[in-house]
Amino acid sequence: MSLASTSPILKLSDLTIRFGGLTAVDRVNISLGSNDLVGIIGPNGAGKTTIFNMVTGLYQPSEGAIELENSSIVGMRPAHITQAGIARTFQNIRLFNELTVLDNVRLARHSRTSYSLLASIFRTKGFHQEEAVIKDRAVEILKLFKLEKKSHLLARQLPYGEQRRLEIARALATDPKVLLLDEPAAGMNPNETMDLAELIKWIHDEFKIATLLIEHDMKLVMNTCQRIYVVDHGVLIAHGCPNEIQNNPKVVEAYLGTSESSEKERS
Amino acid sequence: MDYLAHLALNAGVFMILALGLNLINGVCGQFSLGHAGFWAVGAYAGAAYSLFAPLPIPDWANLLISCGVGFTAAAIAGLIIGIPCLRLRGDYLAIATLGFGEIIRIMINNMEVLGGSRGLTGIPAWSNLFWIYLFVVLTVLFMINLVRGTHGRAIISIREDEIAADSMGINTFKYKTIAFAIGAGLAGLAGPLFAHAQQFLHPNNFTFIWSVIILLMVILGGLGSISGAIVGALILTALPEVLRFMGETVAQWRMVIYSVMLIALMLLRPEGIFGKRELTLHWLQKLLRDRGVG
Repeated sequence: MSLASTSPILKLSDLTIRFGGLTAVDRVNISLGSNDLVGIIGPNGAGKTTIFNMVTGLYQPSEGAIELENSSIVGMRPAHITQAGIARTFQNIRLFNELTVLDNVRLARHSRTSYSLLASIFRTKGFHQEEAVIKDRAVEILKLFKLEKKSHLLARQLPYGEQRRLEIARALATDPKVLLLDEPAAGMNPNETMDLAELIKWIHDEFKIATLLIEHDMKLVMNTCQRIYVVDHGVLIAHGCPNEIQNNPKVVEAYLGTSESSEKERS
Repeated sequence: MDYLAHLALNAGVFMILALGLNLINGVCGQFSLGHAGFWAVGAYAGAAYSLFAPLPIPDWANLLISCGVGFTAAAIAGLIIGIPCLRLRGDYLAIATLGFGEIIRIMINNMEVLGGSRGLTGIPAWSNLFWIYLFVVLTVLFMINLVRGTHGRAIISIREDEIAADSMGINTFKYKTIAFAIGAGLAGLAGPLFAHAQQFLHPNNFTFIWSVIILLMVILGGLGSISGAIVGALILTALPEVLRFMGETVAQWRMVIYSVMLIALMLLRPEGIFGKRELTLHWLQKLLRDRGVG
């Protein structure tokens, strides 16, 4: 297994963000090869989602660089970052609830659509052609995620697990080079989590894209990811393949707290 | 002018106004309270064209140009207000647009060239029921085609979840601005149609209360529903007048009854008459079939 790919598709260098006096993320370095499946783990409040929010442009980093294919994306609007090739899902699902399943996916094609507002108003030939392509592509993606039979339901009418799947499908419909999954297993039972692990591996094989996964569920991360970064209190405390991470004393400490003996050793 | 024709004319003007506000408040989810201001901008700009600079062409062509002037002036006003204010959310946007509406009215009140507080008289009678309802139909078609394309979907997604929309590659600020400008433009379009039927404009035609009434029409019909905006405009124009003819007591208490009816409807059906649904042939057929079976 190669730990560092030759040319990373996504590279975070010394990424730092401060909210007032609090340094939420402190000089984090993460790099992702073009077909990597990498996990970020860490306790609650460690700064994992904050890293995602900086990468997707929702937060502006205080310091450091974020590069997609060797060009900086710091300061770009979230929409432009998505156009450049980064798609994400959210920890607390953010679907367009009052829109149909199909429309949720069709919306993701927006930045890949070229007809003008006037073409839409006057229903030109170009409009009809492109709308047909959008619909075909959306249905194709829904089929891959076994949601095509529910395409006319409203997103909020789907059961929880399927909402998670739809959110991933919607992210993939933007044609990303990098997919960011923020705790996709949150709220799932063990069976659903196992299915999700298969799904994530399958997406990785099928779409040939880089995936960065934030997760609490250790088993899921250990089963799916090739490499793992561990974040605690905004600092990267470990990095390596699943086996190394499992046996790393710092990681055990972050998750389980310090044992009395190790505290004595320190003092 | 015949009483019923006058009512029908008002209803048509309010339909266009409500369709415009529905785009901003209902489809895009931005809370605007300045719609009467954009209506005033369009009405006065269109009337100014007809009074001061009409071309030597047939009246109907001049009316169309006047409508174009009204639409453009209000859309530009929408851009000027929208670009700074759309960075605000919810209540703050409502307050900023409310302020704008009042500023416009007071400015016109003090512009002698537009008649000031005496009102603007002598506007040629070019508009009538035909033109108003032609534009109602065109506006409805425009709205349907807009919401059923990728740009319309982008506008709807902002209402549903702005952060998710941004993360799906939708430039939310751009589409909020577009929705706001088009909505304001439609209010501006209603202006000349109204002015050339009424033949008289006064700043008091455009007080804050009218922004609220147009908003009521949209909410009553169902925020986000095109058919709802039409039906809401119709009901709120007709209801106070219908109550006039229901006996002396009702006529005296009509504004109270009107208010109570509105409160009752909002309690019983807070999502409005149509919710987000549209009145389509398919839906009508289904309704009739269900009634037949039941």
